Order: sequence, then C-alpha cells, then structure tokens
Amino acid sequence: MNQQSTSREERIIEKAKSQFPDYVKETKIDGNKRVTITFNKDHLQEIATWIRDDLGLDHLKGIACVDYPTHKKLEVLYLAGSFSKSEIQDIIVTLKTELPRDAATISSVVSIWESAHFHEREAFEMFGIKFEGHPDLRKLLTLDNWDGPPPMLKDIRFPEMGQR
Amino acid sequence: MTTEPSTPIVDKAKESTMDVSVGPQHPGSGHVRLLMRVDGDYIVSIDPDIGYVHRGCEKIAEYRNYVSNIPHLERPCIIDAIHLNWAYVLPVETLQGVNVPPRGRYISTIAAEMNRIMSHLYWLAINAGVFSGHTTIFMWAFGDRDLFIELMEWLTGARLTYSFLPPGGPRRDIPSGFEEKLTKLLNYFEKRLIEYDRVFFKNPLVVARAKGIGVLKKGDAIRLGTTGPVLRGSGVEYDVRKVEPYGAYADLDFQIPTFKEGDAYARFLVRFEEMKQSISIIRQAIGKMPKGPIARKAPLVAPEGEAIGRVESSRGEIAVMVIGDNSDKPYRVKIMNGSFRNLIALPYLIRNVHVADMPIIYGSLDYWPVEADR
Repeated sequence: MNQQSTSREERIIEKAKSQFPDYVKETKIDGNKRVTITFNKDHLQEIATWIRDDLGLDHLKGIACVDYPTHKKLEVLYLAGSFSKSEIQDIIVTLKTELPRDAATISSVVSIWESAHFHEREAFEMFGIKFEGHPDLRKLLTLDNWDGPPPMLKDIRFPEMGQR
Repeated sequence: MTTEPSTPIVDKAKESTMDVSVGPQHPGSGHVRLLMRVDGDYIVSIDPDIGYVHRGCEKIAEYRNYVSNIPHLERPCIIDAIHLNWAYVLPVETLQGVNVPPRGRYISTIAAEMNRIMSHLYWLAINAGVFSGHTTIFMWAFGDRDLFIELMEWLTGARLTYSFLPPGGPRRDIPSGFEEKLTKLLNYFEKRLIEYDRVFFKNPLVVARAKGIGVLKKGDAIRLGTTGPVLRGSGVEYDVRKVEPYGAYADLDFQIPTFKEGDAYARFLVRFEEMKQSISIIRQAIGKMPKGPIARKAPLVAPEGEAIGRVESSRGEIAVMVIGDNSDKPYRVKIMNGSFRNLIALPYLIRNVHVADMPIIYGSLDYWPVEADR
C-alpha cells in the first residue's frame, strides 16, 4: 500500500516535470500523500489548467499565503484535490509560487477553479495580493471602515492582542 | 469539464429590483448579512457579506504557543469543537513526529462522533427545524442534544469547548461507567431517530418545503469545491474518514450516506443518515477499544517544515496547514474549513428562487458564519 502510494505521487511529479520542464522549479513529496510543486508565477494559468484537466484535480481546498518579510517575498499556495477521481482523492497537490512583497500580483484562477472565488478575495484582503482577472475582487472579512494595511502581513502587529 | 467564464456573484440592479439586507442579526447560527436583490417575490442574486464575527484566529495563532492555540482555534465552531481541535492537532503531530497510542485514537474517535451527533442535532433544531417553522423538532433535538452534552462534560470536563486533544493524545481516559451510560444513551437515541423520521423527515410540510429546492447538481458541487453533507447530498462519495482515515476510522466499518438528488431535502437526509452511522461507529469503537496508554508526551516545539492535516467535520472537510519554524509558536496556521468552502454555494443556490425558500436553502447548507469568518 505504502509503496504503491509513493509511486502515485512520483508519477504526478514526473508528469509535471515532463510537461513543464522550464517552469517547475522544485518538487517535494511529504510523507503523507502531499505533493508540492513549486513553479514560476507567470505560468500559473497553464499549470493550473493542466492539473485540472489532465490530473483531474477538480477543486481547490484553499489558498494559503505566507509572508516572509526577511526574504521580501510572499508565498502563495494553492491546495488542489480531487472529488471525481477516486484513485487520487487522498492526495493533496500544493502549487507553490512566490511573489515579490512590494508588487504582489498574480493572475486569478477563478476561471479554472470556480472554488477559488472567496479564497482569492480573502487573500487579497489579508495579504494585499492582487488577483488579475478576478470577477469581483472586494474586501471580505474586515470591517467596511478598515483602511489599514493588509492585517495578516508579518510586520503588522496588534499590541492590544499581545503581539509585540 | 468545460471552462465556463466565471460570472460575478451579484447581478446588475434594474429598475424593478430592490435590495434587501437580511441580517447581520443572528439568523440562528451566527452573524452574517445576505444582501438580497429581489424582483417581486424572486431573489435575483445575493451577495453574502461575511466577516461580522471575524476574530483573526490565524493571526492570533502566530503569537501563541502550540498548546495555547487549541482553545481559541476551536472557538470558531463551538458546537463542533472536537473536529476543529483535531484538525489543528493532526498537522502539529505530523511536524513533531508524535504518534497517538491506539487507545487514545479510539477515545478521540468516540468523542468526535458524539460531537458529530450533537452538531447535527443542533442543525436539526435550528437550521432545519426553526427555519422551516417546525417547533416540535426544535424542542426534541435540543432536548436530546443535552443528553450527549452531559456525557461529553463527564468525559472532557466541559459542555462545548473541550480542548480535549492536545498533541500526543486526549487529555483524559474514559471514566469508569462511561461506556454503559453511552450505550444506554445510544439505544435511546436510536429509537428517537425513528420518531424524528416520522415527525420531521417524513412530514409532508417539510417534504413540500425542502424537496426540489436549491438543487446543486453533481458537476456543480465538484466545480464549486463544496464539501461535507452538501457534497454528499449531490451524489459525490467523498469523506475524509474513508479517503484518508485518521483516528480509529481505519478499523471501523461504516458507510458514507450519499443522495444523488442534490436538493435541500437530500442534504437533510445525509445528516439524518450520518447520525445513524455515528451511532454504529461509537458502538464499534466501544467494543474494539484496546487497553494501554492514552497519550504520549509531545514536545513543546515543532521543527521547521509544513504539514497539512485534515478531518471530516460535521460541516465538511477541515484542512489545516501548519508551518513550523523550530520555535514553540507556529509561523503560520491556515484553516480551510467546510463553512468557508460551502459559502460559494450560497450565492449559487439562492438565485431565481422565492424569498420564502431562502431560509430552507440557507439552513440545508448548515453554514456556520463564525467558522467561515475565523
């Protein structure tokens, strides 16, 4: 069982590497059915379309952003999974890319995975990432009168919450 | 699958339309505002305005150590606290390389399934019962839920917010006499489910109001990335307990109830059938429970790296990503929960329907605003 599942994950990575030899920067398999593919952000649309159509990863579980102020970068992670293909239901493929912190712009994947709609709105609000091509990029969670910086960035602190 | 151009959620205002704000007063499950654009008695489109109960859980988590994070990370959905707690602890345990002993996994599983029944009873009382104007089931379900709450209090020490599963295993072993009490309660509850079926699920009024309303087709449920009973009500057999068994689920035999209709009534029935499955799971777990230690010591720090853990909560899959940085606090915690993922089904389903159908569709999704807002 274990050996078989390892080979499934390796096959995904091999396919990704042969399909996009120039864009895929790094790949990783985490012990427990997790595949991470790091790639160049300009090719998000192509990789996402291929992953949806060829691999059958039909939905996004979420979009996670991580702020690394010391490296002046923002990482965006797209967690994709599959409902329709039962043989890969247990695998989560993470598409990972990085953006410069001062010009965080990336194309939207709403046209590929409609499930990304609210996830992108959240990332836009919390990290200030602009998703080009999103049909309705508005604030989602913060108050209407909140005009401060994106609150989830690491250098934004809330001393009243005990953050120093 | 075809690539359809994605449409904006809100339709353009016309002369004949009027905007009506529903909420943000408590609609029974937390504060949320639905901005409805109505044309006569028809809802043209809705714009869910969420965030009234946003607490910045993910931000707070970066400033608390791994164990102190548990109480506040389970608060977003207090009626389903075990699952939120478990979803956070699984990736932390993966990072730390801690394995929970078998007995601990069984106790966690029993607690989680009791919590699932309690959460579904809350849904049955408020989101199905009150929203469809059925006050009897509201009283019944809340009364029976309290019996489970009392047993959970005996097991964990708290009625709702348990903080029962720190990394390494549950906090307490099962108290003596607990199994007998629980078995007795399950026998009683199984009989009550027959009554529920007669009074609520087979009730012609409920059937008339929920059947054929808010149909989410299988392809759309997949495309929109919905999860939990919403997804299974549309005929997709997907349950994390089967797909990626955690706890003791690999040893237990249970079915995934699915209905292919995809309407509000199908989602009602999924939750009803899931309560029956939970009864069977708890009974098996009591019978198979091994002896031995319940928990292992877990370190206070987690090494560098990222881990994703997931559980099947009452509202669907919760995936939590934890990034560690060799300290006692996580660098980043990202929570992807069922309510936030099912949110997109709200504007999709509440479109071109009667105003009176809105509460039923909203209730059938079991959307929990606090969980979505985090």
